[in-house]
Amino acid sequence: MFKSLKNMTALLLIVILVLAILTGCSQNAGPGGQPGDKSPSPGGDGPKDVIDTSEFVEVVWYHLGDPPTNDQLDLAAEEWNKILKDKVNAHLKINFIEWADYLTKYNLLLATGENFDMVNTASDWLDMWPNAAKGAFMDITDLLPVYAPQTWASVPEEHWDQCKFNGRIITIPEDQYTQWVNHGFYYRGDWAEEFGITEPIRDWDTLGLYMQKVKDVKGLIPYDVVGSKAHELLDYWFASYTDSIMLEVPGNIFYSKSYDDLYTVYSPIFEDTMVEMAKKMKEWGDAGYWRSDVLNYTGDTREALKAGQTGVDAHHTQTYASLRVEMDEKQPGSNLQMFPVHLQRGNNLIEMSITHGAQSVAARSKNPERALMVYDLMRNDETLYRLLNFGREGVNYVVVNGKRTRPEGFDETAHSFFSNFWGGRMDKFENALPSVRVYDKIGDLYAEYDKYKKPYPYAGFVFDKTPVETEISALNDVKARHVPPIVFGKAGDPEAAVEAFRQELKAAGYDKVLAEIQNQINKWKESRN
Amino acid sequence: MAKNTIRLDTSSYFVRSFAYAFISLLAFACLIPFLLMIGTSFTNENVVRQYGFNLWPRKFDLLAYRLVFENPNLVIGSYAVTIIMTFFGTAIGLFLISMAGYALQRPDFDYRNTISFYIYFTTLFSGGLVPYYLLIVKVLGLKNNYLAVFLPLLMSPWLIILMKNFTKSIPFAITESAKIDGASDFLIFMKIILPMSKPALATVGLFLALSYWNEWYNSMLFLEANVKYRPLQLFLYNVVNKVEYIRNSAASSNIPPMDIPLETMKMATALVAIGPIMLVYPFIQKYFIRGITIGAVKG
Amino acid sequence: MAFNTKNEGLNIESAPPILKKNKKKPFLFKLKKNKSLLIMTLPVIVFFFIFSYIPMPGIYLAFIRYNYNQGIFKSPFIGFENFRFLIQSGQLATITINTVLYNLAFILLGNCLQIFVAVLLNEVASARFKKITQTVMFLPYFISAVIVGLLAYNFLNYDYGFLNVMLKKLNLEPLAVYSTPSAWPFIIVLTNLWQGVGYGSIVYFAQITSIDSEIVEAAAIDGVNAFQRIRYIILPWLKPTFILLLLFSLGGVLKGNFGLFYNLVGNNSTLFKTTDIIETFVFRSLMINFNFSMSSAVSLYQSFFGCVLVLFCNWLVKKIEPDYSLF
Repeated sequence: MFKSLKNMTALLLIVILVLAILTGCSQNAGPGGQPGDKSPSPGGDGPKDVIDTSEFVEVVWYHLGDPPTNDQLDLAAEEWNKILKDKVNAHLKINFIEWADYLTKYNLLLATGENFDMVNTASDWLDMWPNAAKGAFMDITDLLPVYAPQTWASVPEEHWDQCKFNGRIITIPEDQYTQWVNHGFYYRGDWAEEFGITEPIRDWDTLGLYMQKVKDVKGLIPYDVVGSKAHELLDYWFASYTDSIMLEVPGNIFYSKSYDDLYTVYSPIFEDTMVEMAKKMKEWGDAGYWRSDVLNYTGDTREALKAGQTGVDAHHTQTYASLRVEMDEKQPGSNLQMFPVHLQRGNNLIEMSITHGAQSVAARSKNPERALMVYDLMRNDETLYRLLNFGREGVNYVVVNGKRTRPEGFDETAHSFFSNFWGGRMDKFENALPSVRVYDKIGDLYAEYDKYKKPYPYAGFVFDKTPVETEISALNDVKARHVPPIVFGKAGDPEAAVEAFRQELKAAGYDKVLAEIQNQINKWKESRN
Repeated sequence: MAKNTIRLDTSSYFVRSFAYAFISLLAFACLIPFLLMIGTSFTNENVVRQYGFNLWPRKFDLLAYRLVFENPNLVIGSYAVTIIMTFFGTAIGLFLISMAGYALQRPDFDYRNTISFYIYFTTLFSGGLVPYYLLIVKVLGLKNNYLAVFLPLLMSPWLIILMKNFTKSIPFAITESAKIDGASDFLIFMKIILPMSKPALATVGLFLALSYWNEWYNSMLFLEANVKYRPLQLFLYNVVNKVEYIRNSAASSNIPPMDIPLETMKMATALVAIGPIMLVYPFIQKYFIRGITIGAVKG
Repeated sequence: MAFNTKNEGLNIESAPPILKKNKKKPFLFKLKKNKSLLIMTLPVIVFFFIFSYIPMPGIYLAFIRYNYNQGIFKSPFIGFENFRFLIQSGQLATITINTVLYNLAFILLGNCLQIFVAVLLNEVASARFKKITQTVMFLPYFISAVIVGLLAYNFLNYDYGFLNVMLKKLNLEPLAVYSTPSAWPFIIVLTNLWQGVGYGSIVYFAQITSIDSEIVEAAAIDGVNAFQRIRYIILPWLKPTFILLLLFSLGGVLKGNFGLFYNLVGNNSTLFKTTDIIETFVFRSLMINFNFSMSSAVSLYQSFFGCVLVLFCNWLVKKIEPDYSLF
């Protein structure tokens, strides 16, 4: 033991030595070093009348998503770089963070502050606010009017307000692109009609009826769902059976009461509806609406639907718009329909937060000015926009009757084009050339939404999770343990299971988190008045 | 191989027959899942979804393989990258590991325990992902460089200690007498120890080669999408993952639709990854296959 | 027994005098005397210095609120705050016990099975049989955890699983394996043994091949039977390796095999009572809110206990049999 201790001491010395070297490094050029200290607000130097672009720079963007496997993006890049060189003396290079382990890679990229200028972000699926709190993004409040004038002018002030962290703008929203990412169940219209369900399904009971018929008449698993879908199904239930609105806070269990009572935070898990759900799902599970071992099933519901092997799938409206086209090809006459879960009561269909897609300047970007100038052009100049999003006309797409379609001799492998630009798509350019891969009657659904939709009410509310980070982790764990069995009816007695779930939530610090959210909501409410 | 020359008593007969029976059974348990994978990889995805895996395809379908080999250039490129890395990594790593392993077990080496501890300690504590990433990317500047994958795999504490343990069974007297003859330590290692450690070298070399062959984590972290030819496992991992994430990503509407037989593709990629290394295996095997079975003729 | 002490005897006899002599000499002399061996280990020393020791101060990450812009060493220090989430949900005891028990089962049973297989393989006469079975037993090692999970599902699921299809054919009640927590320790341990047997037995098999065959032959002529040969020649020969590998693995006794558990059990929390380990717990807690500091804290917790355990066991081994110790 003594000898080991001696060894330990020696090692400790080494570690201290390394520490000394490292900290020494970081003072020069290492991690956490100068670039960040130098660049926060170059606007402070006083805006110049003529922007100096004499030095050529390469701007690097990171997009989330897989890169194309052909060279079409490079060819398009050549074209846009000719224009960019001309206009702002810069090139734009796009790097990709692939889907495999994207969270690890995305966070590492932000944490280590590599040399890049702009990156995708999103408040709902890429942790925009926590990352902003960690100092990952640059404050661009002063840069925007000077270096991205078109974007600055076209985004209304209340939208910029939604991009502010501690009063400073840290991201550019994709606010002029209509997307409906509200979820719902997809079901086959042809089967529903066959079963005598002639009206569009707008409630769970009718959906249950449909599923029973799929089982009886078609002999299929009505909803061949995978175990990991449980959390979304719980959200769906609350969307349908309460007027609640989910808050953009970690944990995904906190809601406000309703659109008329926006400032009361609660969780429907502690309401009777949770028990009702548990009972209903037990019923459905026992009736065989999904596999017996659904919790361990990891297959692909959508492929099963496309192959005619199941009757239900669920995701958001955007997915429906393209899936419908595919279903029409694969299962002709299937007449795929969607039951948007918020329409059961119709009181909580909220327009999407405009920061579902956004683009930020990296905190340690060396050329934030030029990055913004490039962004401004790519977003607002129609030629550049098309190059970035559609590719080269004639090769990657052609326009027939005002619709974007594939040219003759189009080869999927060689000519398909995408750049995964989700930080500033524009309706005016997209709608000018709609794709044939999108369901042409999706407008009908949008029109129905328009009857119910309510504007996003929490613009500018940013939850700071630091005081309750521990409790949130614990809640995540409790939720992950209890929700799947309850939602798929595998938890035994529904009432007892829900009770156990609630008690563990309480033990994990539910009340503390609830109080913290309520407190921050109150403060935000006050600050708005 | 000649049959036994020395008499076999009943106990040996018993042990031998038991060995055949047990090993056969175990091998069977290892083979069946593998055959299931092969069968499934050639089956139509819809059939798999309905009936599960099968030894013999109910409905023959090559789609999974077609998708894996969609870009043959990329597959060949990744094979090449992996094979080159495996070859050089194993050669260099094996040399360094065996040299250190020899030195570390020499009873007359005063620092052997300290250095052994220095090495072992790294398996207990590690700086974690962020500092490691900073080291590779910022300090060494190896982002998008194959060296970021190649270098960290050269050695592992496990292999060094394994090697040290193997070399221990070579009597120290051999080293001592060579020393008396005036040979230097390095010369003893090269001329005497290395030729005597063939089974050890084969074992450690095999493990080292496997770690290169199976590597995907460093590649995933450090070789970005703009590195065209990426190590095989990462390439295959991405082929499968791409599909899974596209399905459930919040921004899926932009990707052109495609038919993806996910389950059968997982099988196909796994088989594509195993193939070549299993062909190499028998060649290494001969160095440690020669057991000391009683009665087996030497040579 | 007499055969193998011969080698060790040599080591023990020759080592102490040299060591003793050096103790009196000054540091520089010692350095000079060991120069050539030091040079031979230099690449290893440099390698681990760069790839392991330079990043090691990053452990500090576990004690800070990491701010990307300020860097690791300038971020605010928050003490043990990052460790608190481990205790908060009250699962720490369960997951720690599960992790340790599973790892002990993996290490002990795994090594025993590997030795068993290596010894039996050695008794097999046919070289072709040996080659083929060894190759086949290696196959599971290549099967990734994801596929192991899929295979398991296809064997065990209630609706069309291989096992239940067989049971139904035999007119027996199908088994709901995925809702029977008590079955899972066996399934998981068996899977682990199955995956590791080919890889692990090679180590022991290679060790067996290095036994001086003359010893074995001499013993055979003396009328030593198969059981005695295994008991008194082969197993003692493997003992140091066994102890060494055991010691080596002990350091990781709190580090679980995430891939295996996650892919076998996944979201099925009805099985967690018997299958939840530290890694799966951390994954559940942190997958939604990504936090480098908290994951650092977890691995520090795991490392610390592994380290204490190994130091203690190594000290114990050193007391009893100095030559078997790890360092």
